[in-house]
Amino acid sequence: MTRAGIVRSALIGLLTAGLAVPLALLVAASMADRWFWPALTPDRLTRDAWGSLLAGGRLGGAAATSVALAAATAVLATGLALPLGRALARLRGWRRGLGAAAAFLPIAVPPIALATGLQLSLLSMGLGGSFAGVLLAHTVPALGYASLYFLGLFALLDPRIEDEARSLGAPRVEVWRRVLIPMLRRPIAEALALAFLVSWAQVPLTLLIGGGAVRTLPVEVLAFVRAGQDRYAATGALLLLAPGIAALALGLSARRAEAAPL
Amino acid sequence: MTAPALRVEGLAVPFGEQAGLTGVAFEVGPAERLAVVGGSGAGKTTLLRAIAGLSPVGAGRVVIGGHDVTALPAERRDAVYLHQSPLLFPHLTAGENVAFPLRVRRVPQAEIVARVRDALAAVRLDGFAARAPRTLSGGQRHRVALARAVVSRPAVLLLDEPLSALDPALREEVRESLLALQRAYRPALVMVTHDLDDAGLLGDRIGVLLGGRLAQLARPEELFARPATLAVARLLGIPNVLPGIVRPGNRFESPLGTVALHGALAGVAVGPAVAVFRPDAAAPAPDGPLSARVTAVRHRARETTILATGAAVQVELPTGSDGVPAMGTLVRFGLRATAVSVFPGD
Repeated sequence: MTRAGIVRSALIGLLTAGLAVPLALLVAASMADRWFWPALTPDRLTRDAWGSLLAGGRLGGAAATSVALAAATAVLATGLALPLGRALARLRGWRRGLGAAAAFLPIAVPPIALATGLQLSLLSMGLGGSFAGVLLAHTVPALGYASLYFLGLFALLDPRIEDEARSLGAPRVEVWRRVLIPMLRRPIAEALALAFLVSWAQVPLTLLIGGGAVRTLPVEVLAFVRAGQDRYAATGALLLLAPGIAALALGLSARRAEAAPL
Repeated sequence: MTAPALRVEGLAVPFGEQAGLTGVAFEVGPAERLAVVGGSGAGKTTLLRAIAGLSPVGAGRVVIGGHDVTALPAERRDAVYLHQSPLLFPHLTAGENVAFPLRVRRVPQAEIVARVRDALAAVRLDGFAARAPRTLSGGQRHRVALARAVVSRPAVLLLDEPLSALDPALREEVRESLLALQRAYRPALVMVTHDLDDAGLLGDRIGVLLGGRLAQLARPEELFARPATLAVARLLGIPNVLPGIVRPGNRFESPLGTVALHGALAGVAVGPAVAVFRPDAAAPAPDGPLSARVTAVRHRARETTILATGAAVQVELPTGSDGVPAMGTLVRFGLRATAVSVFPGD
């Protein structure tokens, strides 16, 4: 093996270990009944955290809320971002820059600042502590990410294809239904996944807008960590990893399928 | 008299800071082919997009099949606009691409199947219906795009430089498909091109766009033989611009000699002028009234011509029946007055 090959293998090994070791520790912690420093392994294993999750306990309820919230956020943000990204891509010069900056703002500002600002508006609308309020709050950063994603996509998409469809007799709705949405099926799926993950991982917005009434998975994990309930915190953390890993796996397999010869 | 399939009246289209199109007016009959030529920036694409409803119109009217469609959106105009490069929908098969205009019009499935089959057969692509666009060659994609454009039998087909991106072999293939489709489906066809050969081969008439205005509209033989203005002649690439003086008695006196141009001088005042003619308007003859010495030979794929110079004036001439004359040979020639245009000059 060449020197460059050895370095490459070492780097890949380091990266794999960097992912695998914390994951293994989390798995162990999620089943550790007693695990105190300096023991390398838990004294005893238990499945009660996983059992509680499956039985629909606190973790299970939080996971269900998170799934519902993230799914609704994904649909809402993607549905809005698709025409918004297209409209931004059709702008020219400073107008496009301004539009892109507006979409980027919710991502660029510190989440706590965004949460504080949103709290003031949503509370005044009577949406504080409600699922709908948290959904709207999650949609703001998710919409930012998804809009920027679609802006880049539509900037690359030849706008003449829409002209062609219209000239062939398709009204605007049909252009979306029969041309744009089917053509962008995969990017739409990716935007849905992106928006889902943005909501799935959201803590400051949920805490401030939900006011403790909307208990999502990351909020529960945070509570378990603060209470020193490591087993439940680790179980929740592993669950938090699942959608991200699933999205990556699906993306990789889709790319592999696309790259396959005809 | 048959009503025109397309009538454009006083069309004006602003184009940014520039004037765009101004006062463009013409008619195209059912199944007629109009080729529009013009240089870069003349407004050719703007004209097609305005007719198609894809660009806003500043003034004027577009009438298709007797209906004023100026205010209608593109999808309700019964005019299909085809881009220079075939923009097939990549997520649909070739057959589904052709079916697209029928599906959006809610045509029954059985009829769609039959019409798609016929349209693909008309462009010699039977058996290609299930193929994905990315598996088709460039020529095949063009032919699928053409089949898709005519399958709904639009009144007007608008083609933007349909052959310009193709190599000569593909160009012939697509040109034949285009003519076959036009014969079968009979839409009025407006095609813009910068290629005069394509315009001459495909157009029943040719319009010349100059500076956003329609400078001339005529049958190809008339246009090439008698351009309306010196600017049109230059755009048409007519190589010979012979300066001289119009004398009484229909005589044109040039540095190469004096020639009688009966008919060509109608309406031209006595005085300075220029005579414009293509090489084939010159007829080599031992007793021809004009003369110049051969200075170069031009070999092209279709013809060979000679460049001859006299008194600092250069003209391009046919080689004559004796083949290519030697360099420095004095050639004498006359001009067919019906193929010469004379314009007042300085």
